[in-house]
Amino acid sequence: MKHTLFSVVILMSAAMFGQKSELMIPQEAVTVFSINNLDLLKKIGVDQLISYDFMNEIHQELFDGSTDNKSLKDAGIDFDQRLNIFYGKTQHMEVSGFTFGITDEAALFSVFDDFDPLPSEINGAKAYGSFFNNLVIKDKNGLLIRVEPIESYVISMTDSIWFSRGNLSPYYQGFDLDEAVSDDELMVQDISYELLEKNYNELRDSIQYVLQRQYLSEVFKGLFQEGKSLYSLSQPFREVILHPVAGVFYMDNERNFDRAKNLWYLKSVLPSLYLDIQELYQGNIITGDLVLGAQSIDFNITASYGEPLGSIYMEMNDAKFDKRIAKYIKEDQPAYFTYTINLEHAYNKAYEIVLPLLEKEKNIDLSMNVLTLKLANAFINKDAVFDAYKGCMFGTFNGVKKVKTRKIEFFYNEETFEYGERETDAEEEMPIFTLGFTTGRPDVPELILEHLSTITSNFEKTPTYWVYNKAIFDAAPLYMINTDGLFILTNDEDLAKNHPGGYGKAGLSNNTLKTIKKAGSMSGFANLKAVANQFPADFLLPEQVPLMESLQGKSGTMSLRSGKTTLQNTEISLSYGFESSEDSGKHLLDMLNTLYLLTK
Amino acid sequence: MKINYIFFLVPLLLSSCIEIIDDLSIHSDGTGTFKYSINLSSSKLKVNSILSLDSLDGKKVPDLAEIEEKITEFKNLLSQEPGISLVKTDLNTSDFILKISIDFNSISQLQSGIKSVLMRLSKEKDQYAIEEDWISWDGKTLNREIPSAVTSKVKTFEYSEMDLLKSGTYTSITRFDKPILKTSNSNCKLNPARTASMLQVNTFDLKINNSLIENAITLTP
Repeated sequence: MKHTLFSVVILMSAAMFGQKSELMIPQEAVTVFSINNLDLLKKIGVDQLISYDFMNEIHQELFDGSTDNKSLKDAGIDFDQRLNIFYGKTQHMEVSGFTFGITDEAALFSVFDDFDPLPSEINGAKAYGSFFNNLVIKDKNGLLIRVEPIESYVISMTDSIWFSRGNLSPYYQGFDLDEAVSDDELMVQDISYELLEKNYNELRDSIQYVLQRQYLSEVFKGLFQEGKSLYSLSQPFREVILHPVAGVFYMDNERNFDRAKNLWYLKSVLPSLYLDIQELYQGNIITGDLVLGAQSIDFNITASYGEPLGSIYMEMNDAKFDKRIAKYIKEDQPAYFTYTINLEHAYNKAYEIVLPLLEKEKNIDLSMNVLTLKLANAFINKDAVFDAYKGCMFGTFNGVKKVKTRKIEFFYNEETFEYGERETDAEEEMPIFTLGFTTGRPDVPELILEHLSTITSNFEKTPTYWVYNKAIFDAAPLYMINTDGLFILTNDEDLAKNHPGGYGKAGLSNNTLKTIKKAGSMSGFANLKAVANQFPADFLLPEQVPLMESLQGKSGTMSLRSGKTTLQNTEISLSYGFESSEDSGKHLLDMLNTLYLLTK
Repeated sequence: MKINYIFFLVPLLLSSCIEIIDDLSIHSDGTGTFKYSINLSSSKLKVNSILSLDSLDGKKVPDLAEIEEKITEFKNLLSQEPGISLVKTDLNTSDFILKISIDFNSISQLQSGIKSVLMRLSKEKDQYAIEEDWISWDGKTLNREIPSAVTSKVKTFEYSEMDLLKSGTYTSITRFDKPILKTSNSNCKLNPARTASMLQVNTFDLKINNSLIENAITLTP
């Protein structure tokens, strides 16, 4: 029956093919953002649209002037169709691009003028290529696609061929010694080289080119010959794309799990366990609706999963928010989050579900680990452990402040210009954070801190807090407040010294508190102006910088709330509020770009 | 990260507030001592946060051990150069202060020794900039400028990085046995005995106008 239904769907897809651009999204796509209401984007300039990260494939068009002062309408885009931006990664290749409807091909190529016609083997389609990208036009639908082999795979293949030919490492450090070789000797060496033999970089480029062509061909074969698109293969995608909202989002987390790099050991050494765990992730798909309001964009997310994982999540999210946290978060805090989980219930459920999977394995090391886990479960006082961390935590970003450090400065003798060194006070900018959690065992952190203070004098106790001097980057202090069932870590001197008991009336209001309580396990808030514009980029990881840059210059707020957790899914809502006078289409793209960077 | 330029470039790349001193003493017989100090102690947080990264702008960030290793390599290589003796290096890893001291037989040997070592350490082989002269001494007049290897790199900084240089200082001190007759740079100060000159500029201004540190110092006959 299932097979028959599937065949019908394929046939329907084939019949519909040529009518909707989303049918041209390749099966390799893992993440898709689809903008339904293209009317919103009519006023957006092409150069503005292309400058977003999700349009990376055609960034080069920005530099030749072809997009100047052109709107999307001028580019021959069909506003009655969705714009679908996709990204996917397999073990060997990365696929990215977008699909769209076309009303006027001539207008399209007046803007995207880097593409040259290519011979097409796809029935009824025209193909074009630029330096990196390919464009396929079929039945007034466009697929702009970039297929790239994964760099690490290209390099491992290049290395394999390179060394099998008896070459030395391309990073051979003996080049300096070559400087001692005379010009005549170098000439003799050059003449003796096999000119047809590629050097390392040429070999790598050739492999990359061949793989790129091969993978592109595979993608096209699947899409155009076998009729396998994401639409035809994924029922959740077909379902979400029909939602009557401004935009939709789809992410196949099951395949994200499959390509996770850190699972290679599990995959190769314990393949059956890998399959069992993979089974746990079956059906793990995140879909979302982007709903455009007058002054907000709401992103309603549904994280779907299989029942075994769902049962763990249900137990984990069966927890109550501890309102004592509220007094340590200011109502006007630039950003904060709260996270409430029932760790003990989650542990018990995970033990019940995961342990049998581990027990099935006949691997001796794993078997001993399972035994250790069983013994620990039998002997350890779990109530005491889970009482030390009761599962309710919060974090705040308190802005950027100058923190006091010490510096060495040079001073000069005006008679001789000789100089010496002296230690003086200094100030440096640092992001200020607070992180705290509820505990039923305040004696445990106290025990640890008391012990550490006997080891180093950097730990000091005051009547209301502990301070660990030079804890952060060997310069700034870290304060620890252990009070009223909360253990708080912060580098905020003001909080530790002036508000160790909380901010009082400046803390979260009752209304906000009610919203957080209703939210379920997660809630968060960010004042974008305060966060994105204040946060020092130096403290971010390189991959986080584009995300923060995408938020810079934005005003408004972003809030996150999780909803009900069931055996099948959890609902999460992310709301982006902005000034009413601002262009909502642009905000939609901004939000989409941020999400794209987050999920890539 | 271009570890091989550590003495000139890394401090400028990383610092929000930097103090650099180059201190050159030349005796009447042409021998002398060159001292170079880089002080990043007022940017400890920033330096530590960057050192904790694996890479920055797509380039590997060296860890402290690698930096120390490279400094030792620089010291060992320079010690083997003709006319160079008593090379001392000191890296204070808690305050991020690097000090180098080099005794030399002549200015030309100092310059060629440093060039030779930088070229050997440079993996990128962008040696054109290193090959340029930045100092000359004819027994009467000393001409100094900033090596173009440094200025060309600084010019590639993003605007946000430029902002980081604003509170830094570059101090160039030159000492002689004989009194100084004149200097070409009007910002140059002389000590009361006129045997030493000091030129102090802001690192940001220096980026905008790298001729700020250029100076021709002529001694009394």
